[in-house]
Amino acid sequence: MTKASRWAWIISLVVATGAALVLSFLLAISTNNRSFYEQHYSWLFWLNLTVAALLMLVIGIAAVRMALRVQRGKFGSRLLLKLAAIFALVGVLPGVLIYTVSYQFVSRGIESWFDVKVEGALDAGLALGRGTLDAQLNEVSHQTQLAAERLGDLGVGETRLLVLERLREQMGASDVALVGASGQVLLSVSSSTGLDKPERPPITLLSSARSTRVAAQLEGLDDDGSGAPVAGSPPARIRALAIVPSTDVALATQERFLMVTALLPATLATNALAVQSAYREYQQRSLAREGLRRMYIGTLTLTLILAVFGALLLAVTLSNQLVKPLLLLAEGVRQVAKGDLGVKQVFGSRDELGGLTRSFADMTGQLSEARALVQRSVAQVEAARTNLQTILDNLTSGVIVFDREGLIDTVNPGATRILRQPLAACRGRRLDEVEGMETFAAMVWRRFESHADAAEAGDRGHWQEAFDMQIGANRDTLSLLVRGALMPQGARLVVFDDITELVSAQRIEAWSEVARRLAHEIKNPLTPIQLSAERLEHKLAAKLEGADQAMLTRAVATIVTQVQAMKTLVNEFRDYARLPAAQLLPLDLNVLVAEVLSLYGTAQEAGTLVFAAAADLPLIVGDATQLRQVIHNLVQNGLDAVAERPGGLALVRVKTEAAYAEQGALRAVRLHVIDNGPGFTDKVLKRAFEPYVTTKSKGTGLGLAVVKKIADEHGARARLMNVVVTDSVGAEGIPVVCGAQVSLSFSKFALAPAHTVAASTDTAPAH
Amino acid sequence: MALVSSFALAEPQLTNFEVVRGEEGLTVNFATRFDLPAGVEDALLKGVPLYFVAEVTLMRDRWYWRDRVVSHVSRTWRVIYQPLTRTYRVSFGGLNQSYPSAAEAVSAVRRVAGWKLADPGQADAGDGYYVEFSYKLDTTLLPRPMQIGIDGQPDWSLHLERVQRLAAPKEP
Repeated sequence: MTKASRWAWIISLVVATGAALVLSFLLAISTNNRSFYEQHYSWLFWLNLTVAALLMLVIGIAAVRMALRVQRGKFGSRLLLKLAAIFALVGVLPGVLIYTVSYQFVSRGIESWFDVKVEGALDAGLALGRGTLDAQLNEVSHQTQLAAERLGDLGVGETRLLVLERLREQMGASDVALVGASGQVLLSVSSSTGLDKPERPPITLLSSARSTRVAAQLEGLDDDGSGAPVAGSPPARIRALAIVPSTDVALATQERFLMVTALLPATLATNALAVQSAYREYQQRSLAREGLRRMYIGTLTLTLILAVFGALLLAVTLSNQLVKPLLLLAEGVRQVAKGDLGVKQVFGSRDELGGLTRSFADMTGQLSEARALVQRSVAQVEAARTNLQTILDNLTSGVIVFDREGLIDTVNPGATRILRQPLAACRGRRLDEVEGMETFAAMVWRRFESHADAAEAGDRGHWQEAFDMQIGANRDTLSLLVRGALMPQGARLVVFDDITELVSAQRIEAWSEVARRLAHEIKNPLTPIQLSAERLEHKLAAKLEGADQAMLTRAVATIVTQVQAMKTLVNEFRDYARLPAAQLLPLDLNVLVAEVLSLYGTAQEAGTLVFAAAADLPLIVGDATQLRQVIHNLVQNGLDAVAERPGGLALVRVKTEAAYAEQGALRAVRLHVIDNGPGFTDKVLKRAFEPYVTTKSKGTGLGLAVVKKIADEHGARARLMNVVVTDSVGAEGIPVVCGAQVSLSFSKFALAPAHTVAASTDTAPAH
Repeated sequence: MALVSSFALAEPQLTNFEVVRGEEGLTVNFATRFDLPAGVEDALLKGVPLYFVAEVTLMRDRWYWRDRVVSHVSRTWRVIYQPLTRTYRVSFGGLNQSYPSAAEAVSAVRRVAGWKLADPGQADAGDGYYVEFSYKLDTTLLPRPMQIGIDGQPDWSLHLERVQRLAAPKEP
């Protein structure tokens, strides 16, 4: 219901109720005021009936609506119903009470007006008046008859005015007249001074007198029903008519009557009329008693209906008004309970209920703001957390957070990777309960404790330490740089990096330096040694003979050979330590390989060395000299590996190929050197590219290190693996090794097929 | 009185109704025959005045509107019993007449002769004139409580009606 329609309802209601009240008032008044009610009773009644019907219609509609609402369980309808019922009760009960009492009052009261005594008294009064009048009438008629007979005795002739006057005085009448047969006045005397003749007697009286000799009647005792004599009518009187007997037979044709008019005493007439009027009134009332009762009760009932309906409507309206803010509040509370903190309606009145709704709306608004704030901060925290998680997940360092009890709280993938332990699955456990982590855990806790004890001002909150530990089934040594920090609420943070590679690199660097210096120091005396030995032979060979000369020659040869070997060794050291910076130029790998392999003519002829060149190999960029050495080293290694195989079975294959991505883009140019030698042990396989790791009794262990270094400079990837026999599984589930393979993948290509740097005359020594 | 009530009560009827076109214009004669029912006579005896109303309306047809009222006359008689003198008084206008019995009093109001309805020339314009006549015991003039009490009682529903078309005047 909108505000406008509600107001329309209220106004129409008030108007209707007011009209009904006014009408019922008029109705009540009109039953008292006879003339007014006689004019208006009917339409007032019907108007009231119409209003009552309208009200009933409105109430019916309202009741049906309310019933529907209650049935549908519309919110607040029960409260409305309850309030309306209470109000209606308050309005209706007194009305019904008053009605009952009034009903009794009216019906009993009306009945009490009419009782037998009053009626009997009125009847008696009327009879009394009638008797008095009758007595008068009889008296006058009797006297008249006597007078007429006396007149008849006197005869017609003597009938004179004087006689009549005497008669009048004797009888105390007002008029005495002699009238003819048709009623014409023949002679008359009157007490009044007026000259007018008395009226002619009525024909009915005349005929009645003719038949009964004397007749009398009352005249002027009329009223108009209101109890007073008719205005302007003659005073009440008795008119008696008696036939005058005729003694003269001859003249008997002429009938004559004596007419006497006697006035009734005025008080008698008035009293008689009053009695008659009262009697008539009483009889009428008595007749109309049922109607009167019906009218009063009808009015009463109608008033009751109007009042009750008005009360009901007012009850509904009032309870509506009263319930409105409550409903608003309750609805708001329900919404809030459901979690809806939207804007709440405010009831626009200035009373406490309106204030309540306003306060509630304010409160809800504040709640809503607070919740929005919380949600915002939660979202921010969530975002920050996500950020942190992303950072943690993508950190190469391992991060472990321990909570106050020392249980693992957070682990990032880096930690799992470095420690090779699925630590993420170990949350909520102590670190030293995790298999393999005992030493690490012990170190960490010891360090934390010592840090807590020390509590130096400078580095409060964190510590740092390098730490080596054995890990995994192979007991690999892992170098870790561990950093610990205290976090709020007693949590502890451990961050660690795998610095194994770094340590390895440092080691290589150190070795390079050593090698360089050693080579330098060693190489310097070698040439004088060789020259001195050769000079010794040259000088002394001629002087010695026989066995001495042979021994000298052999010794010098040994010296020279060993010095040569030493030189080679030193050169390799130098080469490794001091490789010149690569000069990258476009070159054809196939050409380069073929050129190097031409040095191994005998092996090729024996079929031990086979070269399979890929067609259309893209050009790569590289330093031809260095790459030549790489190929040289690899081929030599392969030949060395297969040297112990029987003649026909040894095979070293050199292969080039181009690898393409799925979309056809060039991905890599590869060089494979495959032998069918004994292969590598696992340990060597892992560290083969480090210097001084070798399988050969006479090797320096620098060959593959040089290869790796050059490959690194070329941005190429070097891989070393064992070739296994397909589908063969040897003892203990380890595949049978049938050779080794070294692969180099070049991923830097010459953009254009430029001129090929084919070959250089400079050939590096193989070992 | 005893005489009247001993009569078998006949249905009220309009025994005569005529509209006469004369030199003085239209005059109405009518005569009715009815007896006072017991309830009405009882009320009369108890002093309730009875009102008899005769109405005559001269109408003219109008096809485009409600029919035109050319002339309307009515007469109201009041009959009242005077218990003091045991007479029945009939008032008509300013005239009063007393009768010793109810039957005589009623017979005085049952008929009218030469009741002038319209002036000459008022109803001479051709066809389409008709006369509505009604004669009734008017209960609306009774005291209001009585009206409520007698509402719908057949004793009190004396009502006679007649509608008569008027013949066109003969051309002189």
